[in-house]
Amino acid sequence: MPYLGSEEVVKELRRALSNPNVQADRLRYKNYITKVIRYMTQGLDVSALFMDMVKASATVDIVQKKLVYLYMCTYASDKPDLALLAINTLRKDCADPNPMVRGLALRNMCNFRMPGMTEYIEQPIVAGLRDKASYVRRVAVLGCAKMHSLQPNTEIDGTIVNELYALLRDPDPVVVVNCLRALEEILKDEGGVVINKPIAHHLLNRMKDLDSWAQSEVLTFLLRYRPRSDDELFDILSLLDAFLLSSHAHVAVATLRLFLHLASAHPTVQADALLRTSAPLLATCGAASRELRFAGLCHVQQVMRSQPGLFGTHYKRFFCGYSEPSYIKFRKMEILVELVNDENVALVLEELRSYCTDVSPELAQAAIAAIGRIARTYSEKCLDILTGLLGLKQDHITSAVIQTFRDLVWFCPQSTAAVCQTVGACVDSPQDSEGKQALLWLLGEHGDQISSAPYVMEGYIDGLKTELSSAVKMELLTAAVKMFLCRPAETQDMLGRLLHYCIEEESDVCVRDRALLYYRLLQRGVEETRKVVTGPKSDPSMSVLTGRQEEPISEWDSTFNTLGPLAGCDLCPQTAATSAADQPSCRAENELLPGKVDTDVTLSSPDDAEEEISLSLGPPLSHETFEKMWLDLETLHRQTLGFPRPRAAPDTLQAALQLVKIQTLAFTPGDTVPWKAYIYTRSTETLILAELLQGDQQAPGSDESLVVSVKQQPVNQHAIRGFVSVLKSVLQTLNPIKSKN
Amino acid sequence: MPVLDITLKDNALIMIHSLFLINNAGDLFLEKHWKSVISRSVCDYFFEAREKAVEPDNVPPVIRTPHHYLINIYREKIFFVSVIQTEVPPLFVIEFLHRVAETFQDYFGECSESTIKDNVVIVYELLEEMLDNGFPLATESNILKELIRPPTILRSMVNTITGSSNVGETLPTGQLSTIPWRRAGVKYTNNEAYFDVVEEIDAILDKSGTTVFAEIQGVIDACVKLSGMPDLTLSFMNPRLLDDVSFHPCVRYKRWESERVISFVPPDGNFQLMSYHISAQNLVAIPVYVKQNISFFETGSSGRLDITVGPKQTMGKTVEGLVVTVHMPKVVLSANLNATQGTYNYDPVTKILVWDIGKLNPQKLPNLKGSLSLQSGAPKPEENPSLNIDLKIQQLAISGLKVNRLDMYGEKYKPFKGVKYVTKAGKFQVRT
Repeated sequence: MPYLGSEEVVKELRRALSNPNVQADRLRYKNYITKVIRYMTQGLDVSALFMDMVKASATVDIVQKKLVYLYMCTYASDKPDLALLAINTLRKDCADPNPMVRGLALRNMCNFRMPGMTEYIEQPIVAGLRDKASYVRRVAVLGCAKMHSLQPNTEIDGTIVNELYALLRDPDPVVVVNCLRALEEILKDEGGVVINKPIAHHLLNRMKDLDSWAQSEVLTFLLRYRPRSDDELFDILSLLDAFLLSSHAHVAVATLRLFLHLASAHPTVQADALLRTSAPLLATCGAASRELRFAGLCHVQQVMRSQPGLFGTHYKRFFCGYSEPSYIKFRKMEILVELVNDENVALVLEELRSYCTDVSPELAQAAIAAIGRIARTYSEKCLDILTGLLGLKQDHITSAVIQTFRDLVWFCPQSTAAVCQTVGACVDSPQDSEGKQALLWLLGEHGDQISSAPYVMEGYIDGLKTELSSAVKMELLTAAVKMFLCRPAETQDMLGRLLHYCIEEESDVCVRDRALLYYRLLQRGVEETRKVVTGPKSDPSMSVLTGRQEEPISEWDSTFNTLGPLAGCDLCPQTAATSAADQPSCRAENELLPGKVDTDVTLSSPDDAEEEISLSLGPPLSHETFEKMWLDLETLHRQTLGFPRPRAAPDTLQAALQLVKIQTLAFTPGDTVPWKAYIYTRSTETLILAELLQGDQQAPGSDESLVVSVKQQPVNQHAIRGFVSVLKSVLQTLNPIKSKN
Repeated sequence: MPVLDITLKDNALIMIHSLFLINNAGDLFLEKHWKSVISRSVCDYFFEAREKAVEPDNVPPVIRTPHHYLINIYREKIFFVSVIQTEVPPLFVIEFLHRVAETFQDYFGECSESTIKDNVVIVYELLEEMLDNGFPLATESNILKELIRPPTILRSMVNTITGSSNVGETLPTGQLSTIPWRRAGVKYTNNEAYFDVVEEIDAILDKSGTTVFAEIQGVIDACVKLSGMPDLTLSFMNPRLLDDVSFHPCVRYKRWESERVISFVPPDGNFQLMSYHISAQNLVAIPVYVKQNISFFETGSSGRLDITVGPKQTMGKTVEGLVVTVHMPKVVLSANLNATQGTYNYDPVTKILVWDIGKLNPQKLPNLKGSLSLQSGAPKPEENPSLNIDLKIQQLAISGLKVNRLDMYGEKYKPFKGVKYVTKAGKFQVRT
């Protein structure tokens, strides 16, 4: 910062400082020195006054000394030759009878960042290590580290290192911690300070004397120590126990980290520690400082990866306050989604619903996405809310809802019909490219269920010239081709126009290439195109059934209490995976890859590895047809499955069966006894109908376990065996605990 | 996002390299380096994040840059931006920065840009004592005050006359005491111990007045001026209320666990003895109710506002310092209201309506009523404004917590003792 007239100022100050009259008047002299410091802190270059300031350091006034030292430290590296002159004064002060002066001088001497200092400071530091005042020892210990960092490439002085290790036993707690800090820095290249058994136990016993900062640091150092035996481990844990509930969040969290690390072989101890720390963690989430609250939330999120139930009853603590910063609100929403269960779902959804109209579009979109995540388990309630939001006719909300719909049908195929109905009835179309892509994807993928789909798409094709985003154009191409495959009559003409425009007039190479690709593909014939373009309509993985797995603590404890999770670079792997799958473009790429084209799910049965069967859904059966066939046909196969019916929500059950291509026709609600379900599926040339039954007096063996009765037309025993084993494996997945059966 | 190129996995050093103070307008007005000097340009990453966040409240606390982490807190319209070069526990740094801000507040009465600039020399002295080589050194206000005396008007006058300084001339005795939080050889002519039980209600009420969420955050602040080495025991009438507590390091935790009494050798002067949370909703009383109706008409670009506040569960005490703050939607241009009590003020720039009521009179409930005028042609606002309530109740801890007695051992004299209770609204919000 170049100051106008700075030279004038310096000249004037120099005149004043060298004036013998001023020097004689202590007060005036000091005032000028203060002035120099003030200019210095404002960024004015007053280094020219160095000589005058060095003179001023020869005084008995400690304040004046302090100010001059501050000045000297700042400019020493710029004026090394002049700084050497000051060193004599400083060395003299290091022998002063007042320990305060000794410490101050030693500290400032060590802070001179210039080469060649070592020879001057070594002797005072070594003397300082043995000083009787702890204040001086504290300074001297850190001085060792500073001295080392002045000459980083020289050999480590063994005697100093030994002396520092000995000083770990010093009666003053700050000296002990400073020794750790100094050793760590000096021995950086050799892996830092060594924590052996005597040192570890010594530190543990001194813990209560330390201030909170030092406690936190010692806890971090102790991460390096491995106890030899379980007895020793539990001794250490009981010494640390009280610190789990420290009033300083950073100490509590550091203790928890050490607990998790030490007890890695004792999951129950870890779980207990997490339980005990949950109260301080929750308290941090409600702290007055928003930054602490944020850090608390990030830690809670990590703990929830292994213990999702721990904070379940406290879900209200994660409701957002109106005036909270958005980074807190985002985290709270993420946590709320994880905490949803049957009891609180209504309240949580109500809460999230109110965030959807937030002034900040990002927050509103995040809230809508959160509802979408919950919809994977509680689709009905969520769909109502999302549909209601469309009625607000706000651009950013509509767009976010459409994107959420897209993700929802991908993960949760049983909601497709409802979504398609809503999308069909929705008048507004999204204005941003993300939203447009989502809508087009839905139209292309499920165009057969949205009656107005061709008209909506025609609107986009007509407006193609004004569309700027090439991602939207690509999505439009894919969607139009898919729609052509299921509704050729309505789409043929507009697809022709679209391809013509994209090939002849489009300037973006990627779009043109994509159009050419589809064009050539269509030349090969409709069936060929269908094979390549249509892929699975939902996520074939079973993640929706089992929900989130509880991860082992070892997955995250290494990053616990570090900066990573707060800086957002430690997204939990599942979120990362999901967001990758959420990208429609990468889905589109997958669809284009040959070899991934399989509409049928193939499962090998666990009972008989040779037996393979492929099931498919085919055209839906009406209730009447099913009933008629069920009454007409003979039962071919009856089997007791050996486990009770899954207690999952109806939606989940339906989704699960659908994933393995078994269609659910009807089932009795909730806990009615007897419980029945009717399902059907198709396999190579045959239609399989089945009834699941539990708790019927007349059917033997059905009190405790599910009984499945299968009818088929035409008969194919191989297919029945395959069907039963697929059914069994799905239902077992839904019965999480009894899966050993 | 560039990967941090300094990965110090095995390094356990917690070091704060530098500190920058930046005001609301983005001016960097103070910098302090404890190790080598780091160029101000590192703050460009902060300014980038600051711009992206729009509101200063929304700047994320941890920002990654290619070579450093920037950890910042925002307090009293100042960003405290610390530069970190090694992996550190984030809570540690955040709490430390708050401690720095609290120390400034303690020394200068308030922590603002102007007071920091006015006292820049003391600020540097403090920062120098609080950290050495990047490691926390002296942060207890007790010990700091012995090293550097806080400025007072009287003292600066005396200093000017006598030429004495605001720096301790002797080695602080606290540094030699066996108990780190208490200095040795304390002497007072009047021995006194005062405790303030301060409770803040954090609550969210919905439209109909039902509690969506409520909890109490309580602290017990102490001002203990006792000679020698007193050993105190504080007991409560109803300690079972407290299940989620944390204490000052001086408190013997084992005795709390076994006997539910707080036994401690106090630091000298002001300190926070303990803090606690009460979140069981049936225990959290809501002292006031709010009846409100804020509506906007489809046509005519106007709206109506009608707010009444009344007492609910006040345990027979008077509610004071009542202030209602409404964040209005952007389209509200002005408010033409009539308050039966207190004064109101609508700031058309920040869109904040503040109604300062004062004391709540249960016989005559305060009411604020009138019309709002909206920007013409603008659509009816979608979101409903939220009400924030501020209030104070003297001589009451809303949780019902009561101190039973305070006993002193280890010293012969008889101290003066006193307990005060006060309840305040924390984050107290009513939805509309």
